[in-house]
Amino acid sequence: MSEPLCPVRSTIDQIERICQSNALVNPKSRRITEEILELLNDVAWGRAGSDHLSSIKALGEELAQHDNKPECTRVAQLVEDAVTVHLETFESHVRTHNCATGECVKLAPAPCQMACPAGIDVPTYVTLIGMGHDAEAISVIRKDNPFPWVCGLVCTRPCEMMCVRGRMDEPVSIKFLKAFAAERAMSERSYQNPPKAPDKGRKVAIVGAGPAGMSAAYYLALKGYGVEVFEDLPMAGGMIMVGIPRYRLPREVIDREVGMLEELGVVFHFNTRFGRDVTLNSLKDAGFEAFFIAIGAHGSFRLNIPGESDYPRVSDAISLLKKVALGDRNIPGRRVVVVGGGNVAIDAARTCLRLGCESVTIAYRRTRNEMPADIEEIEQAEEEGIEITFLTIPVAVEGKDGQVTGLRCLRAKLVVKEGTDRLYPKPVEGSEFVLPADAVIAAIGQQVQTECLQTVEGLHWSRRQTIGVDLACMQTDLPGVFAAGDAVTGPATVIEAIGGGKRAAEAIDRHLSGLPQPKMPPVPVRRARTPWIEMTAAEKAGRRRPEMPLLNIDRRRLMFQQVELGYSEDDVRREAGRCLRCDICRRCGLCVEICRDRMKIGALHFGYMNFDQPGPTDLKITEKKCILCGACAANCPNEAIRIEDRNGERILSLCGTILNRRPLITCADCGAVIGTEAYIQHMNRKILAAEQTIDTVYRCAECHRKHQAQLSVDLARL
Amino acid sequence: MTFRKGQRVELFRESRDESWEAYMREYIGCHGVVTDPDTSINDPDALVEVSLEGKGTHRFPQDCLRPLE
Ligand SMILES: Cc1cc2nc3c(=O)[nH]c(=O)nc-3n(C[C@H](O)[C@H](O)[C@H](O)COP(=O)(O)OP(=O)(O)OC[C@H]3O[C@@H](n4cnc5c(N)ncnc54)[C@H](O)[C@@H]3O)c2cc1C
Repeated sequence: MSEPLCPVRSTIDQIERICQSNALVNPKSRRITEEILELLNDVAWGRAGSDHLSSIKALGEELAQHDNKPECTRVAQLVEDAVTVHLETFESHVRTHNCATGECVKLAPAPCQMACPAGIDVPTYVTLIGMGHDAEAISVIRKDNPFPWVCGLVCTRPCEMMCVRGRMDEPVSIKFLKAFAAERAMSERSYQNPPKAPDKGRKVAIVGAGPAGMSAAYYLALKGYGVEVFEDLPMAGGMIMVGIPRYRLPREVIDREVGMLEELGVVFHFNTRFGRDVTLNSLKDAGFEAFFIAIGAHGSFRLNIPGESDYPRVSDAISLLKKVALGDRNIPGRRVVVVGGGNVAIDAARTCLRLGCESVTIAYRRTRNEMPADIEEIEQAEEEGIEITFLTIPVAVEGKDGQVTGLRCLRAKLVVKEGTDRLYPKPVEGSEFVLPADAVIAAIGQQVQTECLQTVEGLHWSRRQTIGVDLACMQTDLPGVFAAGDAVTGPATVIEAIGGGKRAAEAIDRHLSGLPQPKMPPVPVRRARTPWIEMTAAEKAGRRRPEMPLLNIDRRRLMFQQVELGYSEDDVRREAGRCLRCDICRRCGLCVEICRDRMKIGALHFGYMNFDQPGPTDLKITEKKCILCGACAANCPNEAIRIEDRNGERILSLCGTILNRRPLITCADCGAVIGTEAYIQHMNRKILAAEQTIDTVYRCAECHRKHQAQLSVDLARL
Repeated sequence: MTFRKGQRVELFRESRDESWEAYMREYIGCHGVVTDPDTSINDPDALVEVSLEGKGTHRFPQDCLRPLE
């Protein structure tokens, strides 16, 4: 690939090459160079603040003073040039977030990677899985997410929603591929931690062993910090352990991935509650220099209806799920009503069923259309025999002799509230009825439990009762105190918690290294440019996303056994091949335009390229129309569409998908390659006068000239 | 407006909500897909997770989003 024109990109590339050459043997020189690179990358991605350039300059000077090896001198010189010769360009990157050459987006992450809150390089790992390199795929994922197995089973998969293949037919089944690779690598013992940086002799305290806390712990431990996690519960995992039920996420999966953190030296203090057993001051006294708060959102909203506090069998979904996860398998009641319509309500209802409850009903205020739970979850719950009663508003818990007897409800109708376009459930007068029940479980939302942080003065709380942070770096208003996960976002998702934890780890490292914080959230990092998997257009277009096999319905009603059984290896490898490699083809549409507008051929039908109005895609039509002129490939800015001569054929491919291949025609006289028949005929039609016939003997330009000359001589002789 | 998973939306204006951050101004006019609506209670005040084309996934207050279809 040619050298970049942008000085920012070029400086990064050159310093990266020096780093990769392993020429920087001195650990301090290496660290300084990596810090320079990190800051330069902020500049390239428009995330830099006003003090970035001065910090880069200072680091360059420090490196020059510390180490006079040629590589270090070279890095220092590059930095010096950056902040003197190219100052204007660097400043424009910082101020306008704009790279005039466009080079700084050359390695733009694919939409799936951009969509991932943890920024995982999806196309790279999916391709590696397609090639059967599961352990390698896992190490790519773990550069951005230490829990590939957990996420392979429960992620809400924003990546799949942005998957470009979804504009053609169905998105690539990214989540399940990840689960397969993690399980395979773990079982083959090739799931390993990357090497750790040398011990820095500095300690960071983490509060909460959920996905946010543990992700921060992982990345900080890798950077060489001494990390200790303080957790209220007797085990690690947070909501993934005590919220998400075992039939969706087996405990062994969490334990194995947590075990990888312990192997890195992360220390867990269980049954240790912040605000009770430890405080910010006690941790400071114990030598911790930075703090990360990731306590989740474990409080539940109350129904606020009469009778709610009068009976022991009225509880909330979070408490029920937590009790079950901690080993209490008593049924909450024989006939249970769960109030709510979200994923937590569904999890609570399906858990009750597996505990042995005779009937489980979900009462929801609106209709199926408004139900916020995932459609697959709702379907699976109904298949298992859970009833959902819609347009049902609970008004009182009824009981007798200290026992719940039912939930009094009103029917609702949906009305549009004045001034909004939102549908609200309005109680229908006189529609009261009682849902018979001996237990009622509220699942109407969670909130952060703020009491444990009351002693932490100066923490900013949002009006949603979440911890206020600068989202670019997860720093709170208190210096050295960072926060992320549900405690910041409110109840959200595992992958957001992981992304927040990783971002906080980077910010804590900067804080402790005295580096400035970025002004914008990080842009995901491309981890590699993996070769593509070659296949025909028919194969690419024809592959269908496989169905997930499920546990049989009887077991699903009786046991906490995993419901989704996983894909077969064959399905996994084939499915990975459906990826369109949007990390390489950036869908600029130049190839389509050139083929259609300049060449007037129109052989490329890639309707998926348009995000707002995707049109039809037909990968197979290219073979019928394309003349293999190569204009598309010559103009592709990222070498995604290629034309090459191989084994007597000219082949056009897009990220490995062979769109067209035709035998090459060689010169009848000298044997030189002239092109394909379709191409020559197309050119002849363009060049030759209409009345001239097209010669069926093909010659290269040189032989053609000689042939014509000979013809003229022969004619002159006649 | 109740947002649904998978719905295409536009970030059409700055929000007055406290969760709005200065850097989000760069995203005004961007189109995206709702990846995690409020999954528990259909709360008009809840922050909605949206993946913006080319700009990553963020949580936004609902008053700055409008559906595209
Ligand atoms: C029932 C249910 C199902 C879910 N399903 C999914 C799903 O399928 N997919 C998905 O992506 N997300 C799902 N989620 C959401 C997801 O689990 C959370 O978004 C995620 O776990 C948040 O991570 P966190 O690290 O911020 O907090 P948590 O996972 O909640 O972890 C916080 C930890 O902090 C500890 N803690 C709290 N206070 C203190 C204290 N004072 N001192 C010490 N420790 C403390 C807690 O015990 C806990 O271990 C689900 C949530 C629930 C409730």
